[in-house]
Formats: sequence, structure tokens, C-alpha cells
Amino acid sequence: MSGPVPPPPPERPSTPQTLDFADPDTRSVLGRLFALTWSHRFRCLGILLLQLVLLALGLLALGLTGLGVDVIRHAVQPDSPPPAWPSGLTPPAAWPIMGVVGGIAGLIFLMALFRAFLNYLYANTLAIFIQREVIARLRADVYDKLQTLGFRFFDTQPSGTIINRVTGDVQQIRAFIDGVVMQSLIMMLSLAIYAIYMVRLHPWLTLACLATTPILWISAIRFSQQVKPAYRRNRLLVDRLVHYLSESVQGIAVVKGFGLETFVTEQFRERNDEVFTQQSWIFKRVSLFTPFVGLLTQINLFVLLIFGGWLVIQHELALGTGLVVFAGLLQQFSQQASNLASVTNSMQQSLIGARRVFEILDAPVEIHSPPNPHRVSRCSGQVSFDHVSFAYANGENALTDIELDVPAGQCVAILGATGSGKSTLLSLVPRFYDPVSGIVRIDGTDLREWDLADLRRQIGIVFQENFLFSRSVAENIAFGHPAATQEQIERAARIASADGFIRALPDGYETVIGEFGMDLSGGQRQRLAIARALLLEPPILLMDDPTAAIDTQTEAEILAAMDSAMAGRTTFLVAHRISTLRKADQIIVLDGGRSVQRGTHDELMKLAGPYRNVAGIQEHRTE
Amino acid sequence: MSFRGRHLPPDPKKLPPLSFKLIVRLFAFTRPYAGIRNTLAALVILRSAQLPILAWILGGVIGGPITTGTWTGTWTGAIAFMVFALFVEATHVFRMRLAMRLGEAVIRDLRRNVFQTLLRQPMAFFNRTKLGTILSRMTSDVEAVRSGVQDVLFVSMVQVGQMLISAAFMLYYDWVLFSIILIMTPVVWWITHHFRHRISTATRAMQESFSRVTANLAESVNGIRVTQGFVRQEVNSGIFRRLVETHSRNNIGAARTSAIFIPLLELNSQFFIAALLVVGGYRVIDPQIAADPGNLIRFFFLTHLFFSPIQAIGNQFNAALAAMAGAERVFRVLDRQPEWQDEPNARDLPELHGDVEFRNVTFSYEVGTPVLHAISFIAKRGQTVALVGHTGSGKSSIMNLVSKFYLPDQGEIFFDGIEVRQIRGESLHQHLGLVLQQNFLFTGTVRENIRLGRPGASDEEVFAAARELDCLDLLESLPDGLETVVGERGMGISLGQRQLICFCRAMLANPRILILDEATSAIDTMTEARLQTALERLRSGRTCFIVAHRLSTIRRANQVLVLDQGRIVERGTHEELLTHGGLYSALCEGLRPATANRS
Repeated sequence: MSGPVPPPPPERPSTPQTLDFADPDTRSVLGRLFALTWSHRFRCLGILLLQLVLLALGLLALGLTGLGVDVIRHAVQPDSPPPAWPSGLTPPAAWPIMGVVGGIAGLIFLMALFRAFLNYLYANTLAIFIQREVIARLRADVYDKLQTLGFRFFDTQPSGTIINRVTGDVQQIRAFIDGVVMQSLIMMLSLAIYAIYMVRLHPWLTLACLATTPILWISAIRFSQQVKPAYRRNRLLVDRLVHYLSESVQGIAVVKGFGLETFVTEQFRERNDEVFTQQSWIFKRVSLFTPFVGLLTQINLFVLLIFGGWLVIQHELALGTGLVVFAGLLQQFSQQASNLASVTNSMQQSLIGARRVFEILDAPVEIHSPPNPHRVSRCSGQVSFDHVSFAYANGENALTDIELDVPAGQCVAILGATGSGKSTLLSLVPRFYDPVSGIVRIDGTDLREWDLADLRRQIGIVFQENFLFSRSVAENIAFGHPAATQEQIERAARIASADGFIRALPDGYETVIGEFGMDLSGGQRQRLAIARALLLEPPILLMDDPTAAIDTQTEAEILAAMDSAMAGRTTFLVAHRISTLRKADQIIVLDGGRSVQRGTHDELMKLAGPYRNVAGIQEHRTE
Repeated sequence: MSFRGRHLPPDPKKLPPLSFKLIVRLFAFTRPYAGIRNTLAALVILRSAQLPILAWILGGVIGGPITTGTWTGTWTGAIAFMVFALFVEATHVFRMRLAMRLGEAVIRDLRRNVFQTLLRQPMAFFNRTKLGTILSRMTSDVEAVRSGVQDVLFVSMVQVGQMLISAAFMLYYDWVLFSIILIMTPVVWWITHHFRHRISTATRAMQESFSRVTANLAESVNGIRVTQGFVRQEVNSGIFRRLVETHSRNNIGAARTSAIFIPLLELNSQFFIAALLVVGGYRVIDPQIAADPGNLIRFFFLTHLFFSPIQAIGNQFNAALAAMAGAERVFRVLDRQPEWQDEPNARDLPELHGDVEFRNVTFSYEVGTPVLHAISFIAKRGQTVALVGHTGSGKSSIMNLVSKFYLPDQGEIFFDGIEVRQIRGESLHQHLGLVLQQNFLFTGTVRENIRLGRPGASDEEVFAAARELDCLDLLESLPDGLETVVGERGMGISLGQRQLICFCRAMLANPRILILDEATSAIDTMTEARLQTALERLRSGRTCFIVAHRLSTIRRANQVLVLDQGRIVERGTHEELLTHGGLYSALCEGLRPATANRS
């Protein structure tokens, strides 16, 4: 294939798709799932009991139907065996036949009413239990845990996977309780009861009719093993197809501009046909399996007809309480038996899901407040880096031996190429990460001794690309302090030169933005982000290249906002333009995580080195 | 990545009724597969008779020879049952397979047609239409059509047939008993109908609250850095907890509705059994009627076949409506006529020298609000034209017109003296090279992305293009060199590198006309320098239109057009314009990174 390849297969290829009970990990996940189920044992037991009563009532109704048939038959064929009344409950001979039949019918109906009520109770109790006590609680737990996890976790996990864990995977855990444990208990109980009932009617007939059951089980499990990976692949192929469409639309200017219409159509057709071919393979399997299962049921009925029929003719089996009831039992038995495949399926699914959920619940919280934290309502803003080194998960040093001392109220600017460690340096100040070695201090106190919430409240952060939430403008500005007054919000907006455009929005400060609301321009978003950072009047301000994603015309507006924001605060500023950098009290030039130059603009301009090179290029470019 | 994310199922109340016209049109898509379709129709008729016959044999054997005690009749009947069952299941294999194949084939064709129709649309369509809308035509709508063809159409045909034939059997054996069934039918229908509605409302509420949970979750995860930076975890937890609670309430509500519905249906069938015993029993026992006791048994087996389709068809009704709605939306895409197409007599341009002329061009995106007024200029082959002006001054519109993404309202545009309307768009595009603001890359390797400039190019030519721009070393220094996988979100690759790849792509296309929208964002200074060199090489010998943000670029242009509110207000070279002291010199002040004059 010569065109762009489809996206790599989605994450989680490493998760095993089959059960391996020898694997200690699988066993421990299983153990935890059972423990979780056990913690709900009384609820589960209650639900199980309900199910048992339902089962008994169902069987009773079936038996009564058979009895009715026998009573009627005996009335018209006096030579046929007399109806077998259970445990000698023979009705008085004086009763007219129709009265007996009517009584039986009435009983069947009453029982059905009772069953309907219990069924309702059962479904309702189960739903409340599962939805409220299992799912809602788990979701909230996972969410709370997520919020405490450090950035390292989020760096390595694609957001899609994380979201899936709270939505889909939690469902899988729940499926373990009702789809695996409860379902298999119910299945085993009912199968046992049906089998006992049938054996009591006639053991050999039972054996003959159930002979196909193992075949059903084996083939169902093999079928799902065969078809499941195929369905997975199908989803992948369809996603690829849709992805290709999506890219062709997003890149339509490229497609049209380079005259690639024929080329992409051909590429799309290839992917489309691939989906079709693969689907057809699945269809072949499915269209063989379903009728095959149907055939097994027919074979059972055939055996019942020929063997059971013979027994009835020999008067060894009653017609109604025997054959008709048997046919009913057989049908319910195969219904329950076919659940086996779905139980094993849910078992696999819930193990995979549970593992992913537990991964989050168990993830260590790397960054947290110490037992006796240093608590401060407002710091002065002096920041120092003492031989600080830092590495991300890949092990390579992102920062090496950084020495830095920023007196309160001063501005330090950081210059460096992409990947030189600028953002990393900034993210150590609010303790988003802990250094691998060395100490970062604010007002002389090691950050690790600070109360984490107190520490972060001292710091206002403006990111390179700022995430705004789908709420109102005011709520976004007051994000860090939802109780802020309108006055505080407006003041912050004014300092960030955002007040003007906010008032021009359709609903002013109450305009909803983001996914479900207004689109803001890059410059407007950044000014809101600055206002958000300023709301609490933080002594320390971090600005990570806020003009990076913005065009030159709007850049000027933001620069003004930045200037007024920085006044009176200790500021860490990442920037590229010499014009911005030169205003800083000190400038650090980073290269490969090391500080290669530092000083004021004037000092650095006197020295040969990267700073002067950059300044030179920028100057050259403008002439 | 999955795009199936957040589609809500359509609200059944808002679905259009079944439309015959739509069905006919959808049916036309089966024409290429007429063989499959006709076989399938035959199988459907066959199968709708098969199941009642099977139940009739079963009931007949039990109610007949077994009840009367005839062994010969029993075993012949049993064998007949088995033989017929084999035939039934064999038919089922093909009924299923062909229906699925036909459905899949139809939607494959639909998808292909949708894609081709989309590509034919002019640029304006893509600027108007949200990506999500286009994608859902291809995903949820097409899926709805598929289930319409595969499941609803043929399955419900079988169901209806089955119902009719079992009714005929029952009527034949005992019309009095059957009339009891007939009385029950409206009850079952009403229950099914009433609850189907309630269940779908409840399900919808559930899906809506779920999509709110997901949306909130997505924001929480994507904004986690902000949340932690601003110490807002607890507030967020509260919000999330409330959403989850609402959702679980909705879930329980939906479960409760079906907890009434399903037992009610079951109750109904139990009621029927009781009624059958009483009425049927009476008719057997009463010496004056003396009905055949075997009928009672036959009815036990046949009624199931009569009632279950009511339920099944009820369930499929919604799917059918959704399929219709999906088909309607898909057809609306297929019916979309592009606002303009190449004129029938437009011709191909085998060669282009690159002389471009705008003569009195006026242009608007929306009727009545022109964005370009009487634009005239000439760009000779090999010249560079720099377009300068504020946002919204009309720079991009000129680029769009040069690319023939749009046609002018008035005036003419000439390429080598041929009017743009006389040139086939695709042929003109063969001579164009585009580098746009967003530097769009397709998912795939760097090499494949460069090759898009000319899909037939060899690897060697790809390398040559990069070498010519003096940036092969930069690309090779990527994690996997030219095999590095890039994509939509361009992870692990910087803005500057993206732009370089786009330069190479344009270089490989070896266009006569280059259209470049210079990146405005800050690129780190070292990469920036390399980009400038590459641009110089890319420009040489081609007619270039550049929306310029760098003074160095503008200075090298043969001609600078200064635009303001859709008009050319100044034109000339950089030096001429500077001395002129108009809008241009003011703009230059804004462009100039401050070091230049102040230091």
C-alpha cells in the first residue's frame, strides 16, 4: 500500500485475551473480584433466593399444565393412565371434570400473577443494587483517585483509555457480580433442578435428550473464541475506514490542492472492500453456527418424540405430566445451558476490565502532602533550585543540575529549543513532579514539606495551550476559587485585558464556552487563562510560552496582558522573542536540560553564545 | 481511536414515518446484487412456512399417534420431523448468510458513494459542515441502514409470514380456540406498543445522562493539569458524583420499566395457557363438541409462533424507523449537488508556465457580503507575490481563488492566458503546490506524507526532494527517520518539523505555482532559520503566492500586495512601499520583532 497507513491499533494489545488461571496476576484480580462480590453477599443472597422462588413457581406452573392435559385426556380416553396427582392431593371424585380443569387453570394464572410480581421485584432490586451500590460507587472512587494521581500517570496514558476505565471497564466489574457470579449460580441451580425434575420423570429419557448438551457447550465456546477476534478486527478495520474519511475531510485542502481525488478514492475503496471481505468471513461463521444450535435443539425434540412417544405408548410415561412437561423442561434447560458461553465471555471481559480499573485504584499517589505539612496562607515568593535534576519515565535526564535563585518579585525568563527542558523546569515549581535529585524551595522550605494545596494556591499557571472547561466565562476565571465574587473575577479579567472582549460576548461573563458553547479565538483563550491564573493574586506566576499557538497580530494583545500580570509577582516566563526576554531580571538559556547561559539581556549580549546567536538570527530576519 | 463516541440514538418521536419512496430507493441499491436478493426473497417465503410446519408436525405427532398410542405413526412422524428440521436449518444457513451479505454489500456501496460525493463538493461545503456531522453519516446512519436491511427487512418478513401461516393452521383445526387468540392479540399489541415507547424514552434519558458523564469525564481528564494546578479536585468530585447519581437513577428507571414489561408479557402467555386449558378442555370433554384432544397439544406449540412475532416486530419497528432516518440523511448527502462544477467544456492543462492574472475579481463567500473588490494584478512566471494585510483583509480569499477552491463572482482569473473556468480543477491542481497554515499531515509515515505530493514518486525521489530543500538531515534525525509515524495530532513532532514535511511534499509535486500560507506561530529560532533556507529553494523558478508574516519573506518578493478590507490599497516592492509611508509601513512595525530597530 503506497498511501498513508491506517492508525496503529488502539492501545491495550498487551492485555491477555484468554484466561490463564496459572497467572498469579489473574488469580489476584479474580480474588479481589470475589472479595468485592463477597462484600455484597447479603444482597446477592437475597436476589438469588428470589430467583429460586421464581424457578419453583415456573416449574409448578409447567407441572400443572401437564396435569391439566392428563385430566382432560383421561376424561376422553378412560383407558389412558389416570392423572398423577402430586403427593396424593387428589381432588374429591365428586368434582366435575371441568371444575378440576378450571381449578388447575386458575392456579396456573394465580401463580403467573405472583411470578410477574416477583419478577418485577427481582429486576428492580437487582438494578438498584447494581446501579447504585456497585457502579456509581466504583465510578466515584475511580474518579476521585484519578484526580489525585500525578502527572506522570497522565503523561503515559492516552486520555481515551483513562475515560474508558471509568465508563466501560467499571461496567465490566459489575458484570462480574451479576453476569458471572450470580448468573453462573443461577444457571447451575436451575440446570440442576431441571435435570432432577427430568430424571424423576424418566432417567433414560433425560440422558437421551440431554446427550447433545456437551456438544452445544463445546461448540458455543469454540465459536466465540473464533469469532471474537474477528469482531475485534472488524472494529479496527471500520475505525480505520472512518479515520481515513475523517482525515480526508480535515485535509481536504491538501487532497484538492494536490489533485489527489482519484488517489484517495482508491485508498478509501481498498479499505472499504477490506471491511466487506472481513465481514463476509464473519457472516459465514455466524450463519453456520446459529442454525447448528437450532439443529441440536431439533435433535433433542426428535429423541423426545421417538423415545418419549414410545414410553407414552407403553404407558410408562404420562402424556401431560410426562411428555408435555418434559418438552417444556427441555426447552428451558437448553435456554439456560446456552448461557454458559455468555458467562465465560463475561468472565474474560470482566477480568480484563477489572485489571484496568484496579490499576488506577492501586496506582501509587506519587505526589502528596507530608504528614505534618508546612502550612502557609501566603508566601513571599522567593524560589530556589538547588542542584535539581529530573527525568521522565523514559529515564533520560530532562533537567540536569539546575541552580537557580529567584528573589521575591523578580522575573526569570527561560530560553531554549523544543525539548530543552523549559516546561519541565516550570512544572517542578507547583510540584507537579518531584525532582530526581536536588531540592526546590519556596521561601526556603523544601516543596516536599509544603502542604500541597497551600503550595499550589501560591502559584498561578498559564500553560502553552490552555484548557478551558465547558462552563461560563466567569466560572472558568473562578476555576481555582469557585466562591470568588463577581468583582474579583472582573478585576482579574481587567488585568488580563480580557474584560473588554468578555463584555462583548453574547452573555458577557455568563457566556458558556467550549465544546457546548462559544468558540473563542486563541488570543481570547489565553487572556482568559491569564485571568484565571491571576484570580487569587498569586505571589508566584508561571507562564509557559503563552504566545506559542497564537498569530502575530493577537500576540501584541497578550504581551500587554502578560506585562501587567507579572507586575509585583515572582514570574517564570518561557519565551522565544528577544523583545520579551530582555525585560526579565535574569535569563536562563537551557540546552538539553542544562543551563548553558544565564544573566541579564545586556550581559548575555556581550558574550558569544547561544543567546547572542538567537538574537542575531531574529535581528537578521527582520531586516 | 474510535469515532463512535457520542452519538445519541434518534428520538423516536422525531423520526419520520416509514416512507415508501425511501424504501424503493434503498431497494434500488440491491439491484447490482439481484441474484442474491431474489434468492433471498424465495428463502424468506420458504422459511416463513417452515417453522409453523415444524411446530405442526411436532404437535401433530404428540397430539396424534402418541396420544392415541400408534407406534408406526409415532416413528414415521418423528423421522419426518427430523428430515424436515434438517431442511429448515439448511435454509436458515442461507437465509442468514445472504441477508447479511446483501446488507453489507449495500452499505459498502453507500459508503463509497458518500465518499465520492463528498470529494466532489467544493471547498465551501467543508468550511460549512462540521466533521462530526460528516462522520456520523458514515457511521451511525450507515449502520442504521445496515441493520434495516440485514435484520429488520428480512427478519420481519419471515415473522409476518410465520404469524399468518400459524394462524391458518390454528384456524383450520379449531376456529373457536383461535378466536380466543385473536381476542388476546390487541392486548399483546397494546402492551408491547405502550412499553416500547416508555422503554425508549427511558433509554434515551439514560443515554443522555451517560453522555454527560462521559463529557464531564473527558474534560476532567484533559484538563487534569489545570485542575491540579488550581487545586480544584474536590469541587470536580462533587460535580461528577452528582452526574453519576443522575445517571444511575435513569438506569434504574429504565430497568424498572422493562421490569414491568417483560413479566407482563409472560403473564399474558400464562393467561393464555390457562384459557386454553379451560376452553380447549371443555371442547374436548363436552360430548356434543368432542373436539380432537390432539388439537390442544398442537395449539400449545403453534400459539408461540403466533405471539412471538408481535413482540419481535414491535422491537424491530424502532430499528426500521431509525434505518429510514439514516437512509434519508445518507441520501441527502448523495443528492447534494456541488454549487459549481467544472464547465463541460473545461479542458486539461498539460503544461503551465505560471503566468497568473486577476482581472477585476470580486468575490464573496456569502451572497451580499463581498470579501474581495475589483482585484487586479499580474504575476509573471517565476515571480513571487507577497500578500500582506490584517486578518480578514482578503489574503486567504485570494489564495482560495488561485487554488480554484472557489470561483470569482465577477471578473476573470487567467492562468497562462486561459480563464480559470475553462480549466479542469483537478488538472490545474496538478500544477499547484500548497503549504497551508495548519500543515495538515495524514496518519502515516513522514515518507508517505511527502509522497502525497506525487503518489507515483519513488523513494529515491522522496529523498531527493528533501535533499534539495537541504532538510534531509532534519527529517532523518526524527525518532525513526523518514519512517516516523505522524498523524492528525502529530505527536512527537514539532510545528517546525511539520512545516518542513509540508515543504517537501510541495517540492516533490514540483509545481509551477506555489501557494504558501506562512506559519505565524513562533517556531524555535534554529528551526526557523532552516525553514527560511528551504523556502528559498522551494520558491526558485516558480510563481509564488505567499501570505507573508516574515519581513525577510516579504523583502524577497517581486511584488507586495497590501490588502485592506478586500481591496488592494498599496502595491510595489518592499522598498518602494516603505518610502511610500502608508498602511504598509505601519504594518511592518507590527511584524518586526522589536530587536531590529530598538537595539
